[in-house]
This record gives sequence, C-alpha cells and structure tokens, in this order.
Amino acid sequence: MEASGGVVAPGAGVREGEKEREEARAAVRRGPRRNWVRPLLMTIAVVLICIFCLFPFYWLINVSLKTGSDLSQSDIFPPNPTLDNYDSIFKNDNFTSALKNSVIVTTVTTILALIVGSFAAYALARLRFKRKFLILALILSISTFPAIAIAAPMFKLWTDIGIYDTRIGLIIPYLTFALPLAIYILTSFFKEIPKELEEAALVDGATYFQAFRKVVLPLAAPGLVTAGLLTAFFVWNEFLLAVTLTSSPDAFTVPVSVANFTGSQKFEVPLGTISAASVVITIPLVLAVILFQKRIVAGMTAGAVKG
Amino acid sequence: MMKTPRLVAALVATAMLAIAGCGDDDDGGGAPEAEKATQAKASGNVTWCIGKDTTGAFGTVIDAFNKANPDANVKLLELPEDAGEQRRLQVQRLEAKSPECDVLGTDVIWTAEYAAQGWLLDVSDWISKNGDKFIPSTVDTTEYEGKNWAIPFNSNAGFIYYRTDEVDKAPETWEDLYKEAQSGNGVVYQGFRYEGLTVNFLELVYSAGGSVLSEDGKEATADSQEVKDALTFMADGIKDGAAPKAVTTYKEEESRRAFESGNATFMRNWPYAYALGKDSKIADNFDIATFPGFAGKEGAGVLGGYNLAISAYSKNPEGSLAFAEFATDPKQQALMATEASLPPTVTETYDDPAVKKAMPFAEELRTAIDQAQPRPVSPVYPQISEAIYNNVYAALQGDMSADEAASKMNEEIQKALETF
Amino acid sequence: MEAASVKLGRGRKKRGKTFGSEERRLAALLLTPAMAVIALVAAYPIGYAIWLSFNEYSVRTPGLSRWAGFKNYTEAFGSSEFWEAVKNTFIFTGLSVTLELAIGLGMAIAMHEAFKGRGLLRTVVLVPWAVLTVVSAITWRTLFEPNLGLAPQILDAIGIGGDVVWLGQEGYAMAVMILADVWKTAPFMALLLLAGLQVIPDDVYDAAKVDGATTWQRFRRITIPLLMPAILVALIFRTLDALRIFDLPYVLTGGSNGTTTLSLIAHQELTTNRLIGYGSALSVLTFIIVMAVSFIYIRTVGGNIRSLAEEG
Repeated sequence: MEASGGVVAPGAGVREGEKEREEARAAVRRGPRRNWVRPLLMTIAVVLICIFCLFPFYWLINVSLKTGSDLSQSDIFPPNPTLDNYDSIFKNDNFTSALKNSVIVTTVTTILALIVGSFAAYALARLRFKRKFLILALILSISTFPAIAIAAPMFKLWTDIGIYDTRIGLIIPYLTFALPLAIYILTSFFKEIPKELEEAALVDGATYFQAFRKVVLPLAAPGLVTAGLLTAFFVWNEFLLAVTLTSSPDAFTVPVSVANFTGSQKFEVPLGTISAASVVITIPLVLAVILFQKRIVAGMTAGAVKG
Repeated sequence: MMKTPRLVAALVATAMLAIAGCGDDDDGGGAPEAEKATQAKASGNVTWCIGKDTTGAFGTVIDAFNKANPDANVKLLELPEDAGEQRRLQVQRLEAKSPECDVLGTDVIWTAEYAAQGWLLDVSDWISKNGDKFIPSTVDTTEYEGKNWAIPFNSNAGFIYYRTDEVDKAPETWEDLYKEAQSGNGVVYQGFRYEGLTVNFLELVYSAGGSVLSEDGKEATADSQEVKDALTFMADGIKDGAAPKAVTTYKEEESRRAFESGNATFMRNWPYAYALGKDSKIADNFDIATFPGFAGKEGAGVLGGYNLAISAYSKNPEGSLAFAEFATDPKQQALMATEASLPPTVTETYDDPAVKKAMPFAEELRTAIDQAQPRPVSPVYPQISEAIYNNVYAALQGDMSADEAASKMNEEIQKALETF
Repeated sequence: MEAASVKLGRGRKKRGKTFGSEERRLAALLLTPAMAVIALVAAYPIGYAIWLSFNEYSVRTPGLSRWAGFKNYTEAFGSSEFWEAVKNTFIFTGLSVTLELAIGLGMAIAMHEAFKGRGLLRTVVLVPWAVLTVVSAITWRTLFEPNLGLAPQILDAIGIGGDVVWLGQEGYAMAVMILADVWKTAPFMALLLLAGLQVIPDDVYDAAKVDGATTWQRFRRITIPLLMPAILVALIFRTLDALRIFDLPYVLTGGSNGTTTLSLIAHQELTTNRLIGYGSALSVLTFIIVMAVSFIYIRTVGGNIRSLAEEG
C-alpha cells in the first residue's frame, strides 16, 4: 500500500520550523476536549514500560554489588554494597579482550550486513527477475537451521581452512545468519518507498547510484537502523558458534567470556561477577545506540516525505 | 544469467557432500588397538584443556611445571564452567581429530565414552607403576575394559550437612534423617532434572546395596527392590514434607543457598559448600558428616572429580604424561586442596597439615572418597543417566509410581545398552 | 521507468512484460554477494548435517557407521518425547509471540507518540535487549528461586500463585519461560514496529481526524493496515526464533515440567548422547517444521512476503 505520493522535500533541510510544526501537530492530535486523558495515559504507559524493562536490570545491578554470602539472600538492596565484582572483572584480561573482540565483530558484521543486505534488498524490492520467491525462501530458510547441528561441521571446516579462533572466523558465519533478517527488513522498507521519488530524481539527471544514495537511503533510514540494531543484537548475544569457533582471548567474545566466569569454588555460580559484567556491557551499548538513533532520526526528518 | 551463481553454489554443495560422504566409513568394526603413553619427557608444548579453575590454582601448577622444566611449555585452554559444554567442546575436537588439546581434564563419567571411541591413550603401564599413591576408588574411575585411560587428578564425594543448633548429632540412617527433617526444617538436595539427580539417587541405591547396571555393563538391573525402595523413599519424602517441593528445582547452588539462608536442617551437597558456609550467617551452626546407611546397610556415596587424560591425537604424548605426573605430585595436590578446595586423589596429601588446616574435614573426606562408588561405567553413560534422572524426576513429581518408574528406567537403560 | 534505461542514459524504454537482461544482470550483481556468503558458508554445514541424518554412527565403536535411510526419522515420529516437544514448542510460540506482539505494539505506540519521555523510553526499552540472553535466563531463574526469589513473593502479594513452586510445576514453568522471553524480546518487536510507525505520515491521521474518526477507528483503519508490513516481518522472525528456543528452557528447567522444546531434544541427542544421526534428524525435522510454519504464514497471512516477491 503506497503511503502517499505527495510533495517531496528530499535533502532540503527544513529543520527550522520543524519543531514548531511538530508541536502544532501534536496539539492537533491531542484534540480540543479531554486533553488531560491522553497525557495521563501516556504517562502511565511510560511508567509501566520503564518498570517492566528495568526491574530485572535493577536486579542485576543489585546482585552485582553483593559478594559472598549476601548473594545467598534475596535482599532488594545490597546489605554491604561493594565494587569488588567490578574490580575483579576488569582485572580479568580475558574479559577486556572479549569486550574488544565483541565490539569489533559486532560492528564489522553489522556494517557488512547492511551493505550486502541493502544491495540484495534493493534488487528484491525494485528489480524484476524470475524466481524471486524462491530466492526469498532460500534466504529465509538458511537462518532457521538449528545452529547446534552445524556447529561441529563448521568447527571442522574452519579448522581445515585455518580461520578457527579468529575474528574473521566469527564474522563470516554471523554475516550469513544475520543477512536473512536484514534483507527482509530492508526489502520491506525499500518497497514502501514510492518509486516516483527515485524516478523524479532520475528525471532530474541523477545517476542510478545517486538516486539510491540520496533518495532511497535517507527514506529507508528507519529500516537501516532497525536492521542494524537487530543484527547487532544477534551478533552480540550469540553464544553457541562463538564458543565453538574460538578457543583463546584472541577471538573470545563477551558471551564466551561470561560463560568462563567462575566463583570462588567449583560449583559456585558466580552471580556477582556475571551481573557486574552484564551491567558493564549494557550501559555503553545503550549509550551508543541512543547516539546512533538520534542522528538517524535527525537525518530522516530532514528528508522525510511530507504531504 | 541468474542461474549461474545458484548453479555454482549447488555444484559446490554437492561436491562437498560427496567428499564428506567419502571420509566416514573408516574402520569396519571393533576398536583399534589403542596406543599407549609410556614415556614421560618434560619437553615441548602441551595444551591443557579443562574447565576454568576458580582461583588460578591451575595456573600455579602450570607455572611451577614450566619453571622446573625449561624445555617444556604448558598452556591452559579454558573451557566454559558448565560440564556439558566442556564435554561438547572436547568431543568436537576429538571427533575432528584435532591436536589442539594434549591433556584433557575429564569428568570421571566421561572415561568409558572417550576410551570406547579410541580418543585416549592407554596409560595402564604408568598406573601400574604409580597407582598405589592414589585412593583406590579414584583409580577405578580411570578403568574401562581392563585398562586405565586417565590419571586421577581430583576427586569429590558428597556429604550430609546438618544444623548443629537444630539437631544434636548427624543421624545414622537415612530413615532417621528424613524423620528428623520432617519434624525440623526439612532436607534439601539436588532434585533438578539433570546429572546431579542421578548422583543423589544412586547414593540411596548404593546405600541399599543395589545397582542399576550389571558389573559387566551389559545388563540393566534397575528393576529391583532396592531401586524401588529408594524411589519410594525419595518420593514419599517430598509427599510427607521431609523435603520441600522446591527441591525439584534445586541444583547444587540452590540447595546451598536454601541451607545457608536457614531454610533447611539438612543438606546433601559436595564439599565445596563447606568453605562457603563458613562465610555465611550460619557459620558457627553447622557441621558435616558422611552418608548414613539405608535399609540397614552402610552409607555409600557416589564419586565425582576430574581425571587427566591424554588425547590420542596429541602431538606430544611424552610431555603430556610428564605434566600429568607432575600435577599428581603430592605437593601440587596439596596446593590445589589449600587454594582451590579441590579434594586430592593422592592419599598422603590428606595428612599434610596445611591441607588439614584448609579443609578441617579432610579425614572425613578421605573416608568418604574411599567408600564412594563410581557411577555406571559404560560408553552410553549419558543415555543411562538420562534414563535415571528422567524417571526419578517423574517419581518425585508424583507423575509415576515408584514401581512404574523403576521398570521404565530399566527398560530405557536396556535400550541404551543396545545402542548401535 | 526502468532502471535499465537510466543506466543506459538514453530515452525511455517501453514498459513491457519482458524483463530486460540488463535488469537481470544488475539484479544478479546486487544479489551475488549475499547469495555467495549464504551458499558458501551455510551450504556445506547444512548439507553435511542433512547427510548425517541419514546415517547411524556408533557410540561404542570408533569410526563405525552405517546407512540408516529414514530410520532416524521414523524413530523420531514414534517417540513420545518428540511429540511432547512439538506440543510444548507450539504452545510456547503461540503464547509468547502473541504477547510480544501486543506488548511490543503498545511500547512502539508509546515511543512514537509520547512527546515527553520519548528519549527516556527509547533508552529504557533497549535495556532488556542489551542483557545477554543467557544472563537474563539466569536472572529470571534467580528471581523465581523458591523462598529466596523476589518474583514469587511479589506475585503472591498480588494474589497469583500462592506458594506454588513456579519452576517446578507444569504450566507454571511455561508461564515463567514465556514471561522471561517476553521481557527480552518485546523490545525487538517494539523496535521493528516503531520503525514501521515512523514512516506513516501524520497527514493521513490528521485527515482522518478532520473527518471525525475516533482514536480507535484511526488505529484500526489506518495504523494497523499501514503497519502490516512491519507486523508481518516481526511476526515471521519472532515465530522462527520462538520455535527454536533453547537457552531459556535449558537454564530455567532443563526441559522438565512441560518445557522441553525441539531445540532442547536435538541438543540433548546430538551433543549429550552423541547420537549424531538421530540428533541431526531431529535438527532437520525442527528445520522442516519451522519452514512449514513460515510457508503457512506466507500463504495465509502473507500479503507482505508475496508482494515482496512480486514484480518490482
């Protein structure tokens, strides 16, 4: 369903006045009567969402500040708060290497997935050729094969090729498994963009790639952000292939490193250090995403379809 | 035009399938004569693949070895904490015939499996020369089909922990224990549906003089009175309130936490919980004891622990053997006992005053290990264990009667023994 | 206007049914990187796993294997454990995906419309996403620990569950698993849906408002239809993931009390029991089931995917 084929303002920065217009629009949306119901509902919704998302994370912070026998209790506030756990994870060289590896692998995989995925998505969304359905089905099916069944064959293959225990050895399978989702999201976003926009740009003398870069990409920005975030999410969390295809701090990623955390005794599950590591991982991630998201949203409103 | 890339991909895939298909039917049947590791020479590179050690005691042993043997270089390859993951990652390398791991830290229950697949070097000669220094039961865990396939490294045997402020002394029979638990605060153990439940269950069965597998490992013996009695006893324990219902969600840590927070009078757990308990709020109010008897027989535990095995694909078997030998030196064993609370397998270590200080229950521990029995020895042990814990769990939850559970367990074990 | 004619830089080509070969070549060029990566990396291991499922590998004798044909598959079909796993997997998928869609949609709308607190929301919603899957499973396990965990106490206070041992009882264990999954992945849905919401132009709503449409009418007649593409992508991928859930049941219950899933039994047979042939067959069956579900989606609900596949 086409969104609308109205006036286009590609690349023309209309940021000034944008804020005023949004405010006005919001006021219209609020409506003349009952203008306290909506904000109230929204506030309640915001509060509920915050509690829902944050409580278990608060619990992690709570546990990360406990050590020793406090971990055996379920106090909602740490009785003897201590930063020992944080201290010990940063002293752990494996963890810091793992952080570095995870960041590299995630970033590279995401960028590659977006590039390769965009090309494929563009072909699927815009161009005509036979057997499109088959290709879509094939791409989709690859991502659904249970990873456990291919872990051992992949280990053997990687060892033979020589990329076992390397970062590139992780990037390649991650890219493979991230592509289907990225391609699907990007394809559906590209499809939503009215063809007339590109055609208008082409009529104005732009080359094919210029049209793609200046018209399609900015409009598909939400799709790119989404595909990028979801790829990053998958790569960051992935454990099975990471632990199968790596064996040293050269290539360990964060999930592997956390799996190697130990308590002070053999059977002890190191809740304290695991929680501290989780907190440490989450905060920069969230910060990075906020920054990233803001810039894309800004770029998007600058070139968005208004009508 | 579109056809070409896909066609190429299809051809490549087919070709690879064909190649993969060719490589598999190696031996017609029967285990090949396993190679022996007899010479110990401390030189060359050795990679030790074991689950990460807690306190860095493994690192200390490695450093000591490397220093004493400048020609040798031992490196630690850490595997995840979870025993299942350790095994999977070792198995994946062994199946791929990878020389990456020279010395493997193997759980005592993996010996038969690994040996049956020809993945380990025969160390019988070394054991026959040096085996006397070990507690005999630990050497039993290295045996399969009459040969020794690993060197005992550390051991483990369970204990009954009890609150000294709630009961005067440790009960002498399981029946008494459950009775006191019922009138007291309950008994907690590992009732989650996993390997730990097999251990807890077998402790009762062995205490009753029963078994689940015949000596020769060829026949299931779970459909017996002892097994049924143990099942009834455990299930009734939950029904009558001696053990809380929550016990079916407990692994080692949960039961430890329940005991430490004062929610239980008795606990069955491994020795590791002792040191942690001494750091908790019940520090002055608990003690440990070896297992009580059941059905009029002597108490018996189940052996845990890790052995050191040498991979059949190792490029340095001599260095590996030298390192394994070093790690079982009484001095290194004492180090691991004092620094990491890992129960030694070498008998004389228990007399070391430093060890006695770090583990005040050292004497009981040695006795417990001596009296403990191994779990069923079989290359299909994982399936046997699954048959056990699935059915015991069903009985504990009240989904099956003890008789049904015993006969289903027997049936499944028998089926496992007939696996191709 | 054909892209092909732009590339040539000359006049217009007639819009015809014949696909220009330039267009096909361009499509091939654009698709090749993705297809190449997928084919080369995934084809061998997947092909090998499928091949393994038609054989039996001895657990007792090294190197011994024999052709098994469909034996592993018939064994699976005859196993009550397999069918129980199928049942549990579908129950889990149905309930959790529905909940995630509803909650995710709510979160997306809130993120889209809340003028104040929008930045806060977008941050907060990312938090469950950022916590490692395994760590979140462990956290939920501790939160529901009998006696010590906070969750049973809180739930009891609001009248749910009494003194039930949550993870130790059938039905309740599944509830915890669904809760943990919804917590972790409703943000996934929310992100996808938010992106979809962001491309709906406001004037469509404003026009409807002028026409006197109520909030609910605007939601039903404008939001949902325009959001359909995003909803369908979110649904398909979430369903595919939910059908293959592994971490949660493994950590929470080990598969007991009605939480055994397909991935769990495949993992058990493949890595723990080392029944490589049987385990691979279970993996292939999981794969087939997942694919069947997605094809059913595409056929019945499928406007989006089919339209993706339609010409240009």
